[in-house]
Amino acid sequence: MSETKAINSDATQVGGTGRVMIDVVNMDKFFGDFQALKNINMKVGEQEVVVVIGPSGSGKSTLIRCINRLERHDRGSIVVDGVELSDDIKAIQNIRRETGMVFQSFNLFPHLSVLDNITLAPRNVRNIPKAEAEATAMELLERVKIPDQARKFPGQMSGGQQQRVAIARSLAMKPKVILFDEPTSALDPEMIKEVLDTMKDLATEGMTMICVTHEMGFAREVADRVVFMADGEIVEVGTPEHFFTNPEEERTQLFLSQIL
Amino acid sequence: MAGKDAMYLGDDITAALATDSSPPSTKLSPADWAKKNLFSSGVNSLLTIVVGLAALALLWFGLNWVISADFEIIRANLRIFMIGQFPKEELWRPWTSAYVLILGAGLTTGALARNSHELDLSQEIESHKEGWGSMLRRFWPVLLVSIFFVSFARTLLPFIGLAGAFALIVVAREIGWRMPAAIRERAIFIGVALFIVSMLVIAGTSRLGGYALGLVAFLWMMSELSRVDSLPKGFAGTLIRSGIALVVAAMVAIIQNLIPHDGFGWENWGGLHISLFTAVVGISLGMPFGILLALGRKSDLPVLKTASVIFIEFVRGVPLISLLLFSNLMLPLFLPIDFERPADLTLAIIVITGFSAAYIAEIVRGGLQAVPKGQTEAAQASGMSAASVQRLIVLPQALRAVIPAMVGQFIALFKDTSLLSIIGILEFLRVSDTSNSQQAFVGKGLASVTYLFVAIGYWAFAYTMSKESRRLEAKLGVGHR
Ligand SMILES: Nc1ncnc2c1ncn2[C@@H]1O[C@H](COP(=O)(O)OP(=O)(O)OP(=O)(O)O)[C@@H](O)[C@H]1O
Ligand SMILES: [Mg+2]
Repeated sequence: MSETKAINSDATQVGGTGRVMIDVVNMDKFFGDFQALKNINMKVGEQEVVVVIGPSGSGKSTLIRCINRLERHDRGSIVVDGVELSDDIKAIQNIRRETGMVFQSFNLFPHLSVLDNITLAPRNVRNIPKAEAEATAMELLERVKIPDQARKFPGQMSGGQQQRVAIARSLAMKPKVILFDEPTSALDPEMIKEVLDTMKDLATEGMTMICVTHEMGFAREVADRVVFMADGEIVEVGTPEHFFTNPEEERTQLFLSQIL
Repeated sequence: MAGKDAMYLGDDITAALATDSSPPSTKLSPADWAKKNLFSSGVNSLLTIVVGLAALALLWFGLNWVISADFEIIRANLRIFMIGQFPKEELWRPWTSAYVLILGAGLTTGALARNSHELDLSQEIESHKEGWGSMLRRFWPVLLVSIFFVSFARTLLPFIGLAGAFALIVVAREIGWRMPAAIRERAIFIGVALFIVSMLVIAGTSRLGGYALGLVAFLWMMSELSRVDSLPKGFAGTLIRSGIALVVAAMVAIIQNLIPHDGFGWENWGGLHISLFTAVVGISLGMPFGILLALGRKSDLPVLKTASVIFIEFVRGVPLISLLLFSNLMLPLFLPIDFERPADLTLAIIVITGFSAAYIAEIVRGGLQAVPKGQTEAAQASGMSAASVQRLIVLPQALRAVIPAMVGQFIALFKDTSLLSIIGILEFLRVSDTSNSQQAFVGKGLASVTYLFVAIGYWAFAYTMSKESRRLEAKLGVGHR
């Protein structure tokens, strides 16, 4: 993209407190012969909220899944809070412990109650005693505004409630970063707001977040930066206002005209 | 009609009928029902008449046969049908054993039913204690057939014994239901321990039984210790826990071995008892091995994977009979010369365990594949180790999904125990042959009588299990856990 100099595609200018939380350098990812991510350079600062947008198949999910090693990157480096991702399982688990993830399809554990869903990882990974883990879980459920659902099972709840439990579940590990992969796109319209509100609260409280989402209202309100991806590349980077007012690259304009 | 219906329905439903907000009644008079279901068309009417006549004829011949048949052979051999060549003067053992077993079953099922009831209530799901009427509907084949069996007895004792057993199950279940929550949580261990004790009662004492009790004690201790938060976590904690549990288990095994060996192992076991016993033990032991094999087959380690695949495919590709024969004739040849030859039943149980493990492995593999990838990913993303992900997330869901298939395997295995006769074990079906070759009955053509008797026995248990499995399926399907 060197010939189109005017367009800012540099995603390494960190916001937030300025301390680099996630550092992706020259990262490539292949699925067989197909290159899903091409030379990604991106930094995310502490307490920064980065929204990633882009057409289907552009590699958004793959990007954030590489950050917690649900996918293995092929070239370049990824450093999360000072720890570099390698094949070392210890390093991977250290990073996963500090990194929450919220999925489009919630992925709550259907055989466990809401309370057990939330306390499982703290108890199993951090060896927190049951009583303490449950107290924390109840606080988190208060925070996502469904404390009365603690004893229910995921199958008994609405999508919006399930996604809020999923957020509470990721918070229970007291992560330094949370990765959101289209957390509202499997929800009915009337439930989207409750989940976005929860995410906004988190952002206000200073959580470092990368959100793949097409909720531009959300982006406008809380995002420090918006990253637009297409064909496995970072195409355009800017403030939410920039994307609302004068997106420069043609693909960005086309994409925004479709979703806005 | 509305008036008649109201008699059967509760007050609130009657009220609902009055306001007509309930779905329209679909109750038909018998004549209407018959017209709708049996004689709706020419073909249907013809079918009804033909099948009806055939059924009547069958009933006629059946009744005639039953009236004229000589059931003396059953009366003379009832004990052998039930427990094989068990010494007569030791009959107190099977009876005591059965009572311990019933006590364990009653306590455990009562406690588990209460636990699930409480869980439902805590989630505000409507739930009621199951009445005895419903229990009767679930287990009538077994109840009816045990009465049928006992009706061939020549003394009064079996009647009293059976009545006592019915009374005990009622009382034990009630006690299980009312036990404090702390005991109810441990119901499984109580049940398994009592199961082994009941086997020890019938076998006298045996080393194997001591080991089995020790194993239960070990697992129980581990589960108790895992609740103790003050113990250190991680590897050190696991070491300490296993250490304590091992000591307790060893003590249980030692104490059990201190009891004088007045028993005779299971050389003399037989009849329906051995068929049920080998099926239950085969499936219970086959389950853990089968799960390990299924995980092994999925493993990334080539050695583990290949070994699992070879075992599973070999066992599944060979008839059970040949495995039994192989174990009986060939295996002892491979054992060291001074090695005491294991009892036939021991070999058979090893074979049946391996056999069911291979089949269970394939069932579990299906279950593992049915667990969505997102489940693993969500667990991994929270930093759980691969082993924890399998143990806490994937396996519980996979196993839940395959319970019906597992029960099917159990039923098949129960019927397959009839093959034990091939290696000289006097199981249920074989008693039919041996009794027909007795002096008093040989050449009298009574095989049809004994075969029918045996068939009814198999049917009662298999059908009850199949009913239970369907019930479980419905419960799991409607539910959410
Ligand atoms: N496991 C996989 N194996 C092979 N190809 C894959 C795999 N996962 C993703 N891809 C491919 O990589 C590309 C990027 O996929 P990705 O899921 O990251 O897109 P996305 O931007 O998240 O799209 P969407 O908006 O549809 O979620 C797509 O072309 C997809 O087909
Ligand atoms: Mg995606």
